[in-house]
Amino acid sequence: MRTSRTLGLIMIAPAAIMILLFFLMPVVLTAVFSLTNMSTATGISGGAYQVTQAAVNRLTTDMPELAAAISEPRFVIDGEGVAALEALQLKPHFATELRSEHLGEVFASRREAERVIKALKDRPSTREVKRISDLFNRSVLNTRFETREALLESLRKLGFDLTPEEQEAVAKATYTGWVWTADNFRIIGNSPDMAQVFLNTAFYVAVTLLLFNVGYALFLAVTTHYMTASTASIFRAVWLLPRITPVVIYILMWKWLTWDNGFLSLFMGQFGYPAKNYLLDNARDAWFFVILLNGFIGASMGMLVFSSAIKAIPETQFHASEMDGASRWQQIRYIILPQLRWPILFVTCYQTLSLLASFNEILLSTRGGPGRATEVWSLAAYHTALQNYTGNLEYGLGAAMALVLVVIGVILSLIYLRVFRYDTLISKPLIED
Amino acid sequence: MIEKTRVSANFSSVPVVLLLGLLSLPLVLIYAYLFIDTISNSDAGSLVPSEFTLQHWSFLWETKPGKPNIWLVTLNTFVFTSVITAVILLVSSMAGYVLSRLNVPARGFFLAGVMVLHAFPSVTLIIAIFIVLQYLGLYNSLLGVILVKAAIDLPLGIWLMKGFYDTVPWEIEMAGIVDGASRFTVWRRLVLPQIRPAVMALGLFSFLSGWSEFILPQVLAPGAQVQVLSVYLASLIADDNNFDFATFKAVGVFYVIPVLILYVFFQKHLMNIYGGGTKG
Repeated sequence: MRTSRTLGLIMIAPAAIMILLFFLMPVVLTAVFSLTNMSTATGISGGAYQVTQAAVNRLTTDMPELAAAISEPRFVIDGEGVAALEALQLKPHFATELRSEHLGEVFASRREAERVIKALKDRPSTREVKRISDLFNRSVLNTRFETREALLESLRKLGFDLTPEEQEAVAKATYTGWVWTADNFRIIGNSPDMAQVFLNTAFYVAVTLLLFNVGYALFLAVTTHYMTASTASIFRAVWLLPRITPVVIYILMWKWLTWDNGFLSLFMGQFGYPAKNYLLDNARDAWFFVILLNGFIGASMGMLVFSSAIKAIPETQFHASEMDGASRWQQIRYIILPQLRWPILFVTCYQTLSLLASFNEILLSTRGGPGRATEVWSLAAYHTALQNYTGNLEYGLGAAMALVLVVIGVILSLIYLRVFRYDTLISKPLIED
Repeated sequence: MIEKTRVSANFSSVPVVLLLGLLSLPLVLIYAYLFIDTISNSDAGSLVPSEFTLQHWSFLWETKPGKPNIWLVTLNTFVFTSVITAVILLVSSMAGYVLSRLNVPARGFFLAGVMVLHAFPSVTLIIAIFIVLQYLGLYNSLLGVILVKAAIDLPLGIWLMKGFYDTVPWEIEMAGIVDGASRFTVWRRLVLPQIRPAVMALGLFSFLSGWSEFILPQVLAPGAQVQVLSVYLASLIADDNNFDFATFKAVGVFYVIPVLILYVFFQKHLMNIYGGGTKG
């Protein structure tokens, strides 16, 4: 049917364009940026060639002599300088003589240039010598060139005869823009800081997942199962609150609970304990609260999925077991848990991904502190690329860190597309076979 | 719904209610104090409020120095949230129908792509999006962050809508075609009314998701003129010079009220969507 095809293309176009522009393109660009050294210092568009002291220092490690030569001032008697001299309205003979006798000469230092100026027939005073020599100072240090050609041309005029390798080295050392590099991945692979962040992440995901997103969620689902429907719905509503509440206000409540003028301090104060910041006073407490506040949010999804799965278990099984004298624990152990195998696997898989990517809560509560104790991978990427105290935002390195998560995300989602028949699970998570 | 009480008729439900009640107490407590603290003052060192006051709500009628006006921020938040909701509803109700019913090239591929993206840690893309918006000149504008947020929520929307369209019987459409309606008319007049609950649920979800969004506006549109409530509240809290929990909580309650109203009225819809799971 031709018409349905055209209609289909028109109707799907907005979705395709939006996803392409703001979802797929960022994925690709994350990969691209991760191979660059983009940062605040390099800018995000192209750069220029700037001979700074820092650039000279970079060059020194490979080519010390060349670096030293470039950083020294150079004095060139050129038409431009002579014209400037004429404009100074000193004795007219200075200019004429320099133009006729010395035009085109290059001096490697101020001393040599000033010796020639001093020898002029009209005998300039020492002050005049200094003023004149300044006009011919053609040092490249602290000058900026828009293109590589302009830089090399200027160096050539100053009497540098550079080999291609030297040209390459000078251009590389003075370039201020970003360049392609695989250093980001080397840093991620080698730095002990990164290893620490990786361990933090593994710890955070594993513990939160086990205790809350699966463990406590199961507990909630099973206990609410043994209540009257109305009581159960009250408890479910309460435990869904953390997920419904906007993250900023949710974290504010936890801060109020744990801050040094907050609830816990006041409460413990009744028993004579001094007030302290329970959230940030040491790494152990910080982890305790980070896991707790994330766990409270995470438990609700498991609770809902497991509840509806338990609801799908035929009631007759419970009746039969009660006739046989099964205790409540035996019902849980032999009826409920075995039939929740797939939902549990699904929640585990899904929430691993969610926990890996979630950093809002940690950013707003501990900011990765105290020190870097609760810094997890996604938060570290955010800190590296978008917000840090040194002020140099390393987009390239941050993108490389994000890419690690992107790759894990794609792999995990492909796995559960395959294993869990995601399409059927998402609408009703009751697949048993 | 099946009545669950009969299942465990031999057992008392009192112990579990007590146990869970005890565990839920801290949560209930911090939510209760969220409201209590905004309208009362307590003596130093005491947890029991001693007087009633509205001073913590003064941010509604006086603008704090260096902060944008609260009503401008609220307006921004409403614009941000409603545009996102409208865009997601419109775009995903069309795309979902195509993926469910119409014969277009690369349909399976698109569907698989949407599925992978739906499960994607989208916040990790924020670095690239930040740079893209700077290139496009959309950095620090509401339009930019609206487009980004809508695009990130789209895969879930498309996915949900597709699932709901799948449940609409083909016979309805066939009847329409036989009566001489075009496919578009069939979609617009016959199919769309069938999935009104789904449109409701998705709209609700998108609204809540937009209203709560923090990190995208924080990174992509932090300017005073385009601030939304979440960024405003976060900047209040981050300001160490004026640390005052009661005021923060008042702003927080002001911010959370629409969410709670929606939650009370549409709890069942939300349970369904959050059971599908979308975030940590």
